[in-house]
Parts: sequence; C-alpha cells; structure tokens
Amino acid sequence: MNPELMLQLDRVIHEKGRLAIMSLLAASPELSFTELRDTLNMTDGNLTTHIRTLQEAGYVSVTKSYFNKRPLTTCALTPAGRKAFAEYVSMLEKIVQQTRKLPVK
Amino acid sequence: MNTEWAAEQIQTIRTLMERSALYRRALAPVATLAGFLGLAAGAGGWALEIGQPAGFAGYWMGVGAVTLALALLLVRRQAFRAAEPFWSPPTRRVAQAVALPLAAGMALGLLFIIADFKASQLGILIISWLLFYGFALNAAGFFMRRGIRLLGWIFTLAGLAIGYYWVLHGPPNILDHRLHLFMGAGFGGLHLAYGIYLYLTESKEISA
Repeated sequence: MNPELMLQLDRVIHEKGRLAIMSLLAASPELSFTELRDTLNMTDGNLTTHIRTLQEAGYVSVTKSYFNKRPLTTCALTPAGRKAFAEYVSMLEKIVQQTRKLPVK
Repeated sequence: MNTEWAAEQIQTIRTLMERSALYRRALAPVATLAGFLGLAAGAGGWALEIGQPAGFAGYWMGVGAVTLALALLLVRRQAFRAAEPFWSPPTRRVAQAVALPLAAGMALGLLFIIADFKASQLGILIISWLLFYGFALNAAGFFMRRGIRLLGWIFTLAGLAIGYYWVLHGPPNILDHRLHLFMGAGFGGLHLAYGIYLYLTESKEISA
C-alpha cells in the first residue's frame, strides 16, 4: 500500500467523532445540534468541540436561531466541507483498491 | 492501518449517512396492516350499504384516519424496541413530504361531506385520492427504500387510468355501495400486495 495515500487523508475529518458528524451532515441539508448529539450519543461538550474544529476548518457552518421561542443551533456542511468529505471518501476507496491489487503472498 | 480499516471506515460512513438520510422503520407490518384494514373497510362499507357521496367520503376518511393512527402506533412501537427516537429527522422528513398531498386529499374529502355532490361526481374524489396518495408515496420515497416510489407510481397511474376511462367511457356501472369494494380492493389490495412483497424480500436483504 502506498503510504502517501494515508498521509493525504484529511486530518480534520479523520478523527472518528468528526467523521461521524461529517457523514451525517453529508446526507442531510442540515441537522440540529440536538439531532447530531442524540444520533451520535455524544456529550454536549464533545460535540461542541468537534463542531468548533470543523467550523474553524471551514467545513461546517453553524446557524443560531429560535424555534418556538427556544434557541436552535443547526449545522450544515459548507461547499468546502462537502468537497473535503468527498475527497476523503475517495481517498479511502483508493486505499482499499490499491491494497486489493497487491499480490497475495 | 490497512485495507480492512479503510473498508470499515467506508462502511461506517455509509451507515451513518443512511441513518441520517433514510427512514428506516420496517414498512412490511405497516403496509400489511393498511392492506387488511382497507380490504375489511371495503367489505364493511359494501355490507353496510353506506350511502354516498357524503357517507362514502366520510367513511373512507375515517378508515384513513384509523389506519394512519394504527400505523403510527406500530412505528412508535418499532422505534421504542430499537431504542431510537420516534420523531427522528428522517421521520420528520417523510412526514413533511407526505403532508401536502395528504392534506389536499383530506380537504377534497371534506368538500364532499359538506357540499351536495352527485353520485356520478364521486369519480373526482376517487381519482383525486388515488393521485394525491400516489404523490405522497412518491415524495416519501425520496427518504425511504424498498419500492415505495414504485407504489406511488402505481397509485398515480391507477388514478389516471380510471380518470381516462371515466371521461372517455362515462361513469362505470358500480356507482352504488359496490364502490366500497372497489376502494377496498384498490387501496387495501395494493397495500397488502406491497406488504407481502416486503415480507418475502426482507429476509433476503438482511441476509445478503
């Protein structure tokens, strides 16, 4: 397997929790903070930290609004986040394909 | 880190994306329940000789409401057993998708209850219900798997076929309480067939 491919994997997305967040957001136009937290069984603090990291990388946008007079925080992938996620998945697929091509000893 | 790891990552991503995007409750029991209720309601309406058009519209709207309520209870039970929230994002998306066509069908049904329509005009209601229901299933199918969009197309095409027949050949000769049998066979029969199809194919998909 080409180790360069491994090094090309986006470190921001690569972390398990952030990858899960990106995966959920990639399949939805947007998800609320609560929906993400409940689906992934994360603590508020953990999710906040991961979202902040993704936000700082420009991959996730966070919108704060009010719904039924209650604060509502929604997250969505930015175009850059969507691109980075697609590239990450494509890189994983390349790793799988390359290793399958290796001759069995 | 090896191939297995990368393949597992891809599988995890796929699972998470499906969890987020798709409505995953088992449809087979819901479709079968709707099928049996539809068939029973068709036979009941016919046997009781429920009058029309207001009686017809009211009776079938009641059947629809009872079926919907029982289907929601089934879904809620499934969610409870799977330790998942009932009102999940996918559920909400499905509900939003079907809301408009179902509300339109209900509003038209109400019109037939409150206004003085002739029996020969019942075709408008039946055709519209088939079309609206087909639209609802098709819209829901964007967030669900397993042929729900195809069922939507079948309902819509059935509505169009009946509409064309009605216009080109005049009203059919069943504009009495036999219309209940038609409704039961149409709505109940199609749901039951779909439910049986799901039961027959579900185990294969799970084991695949």
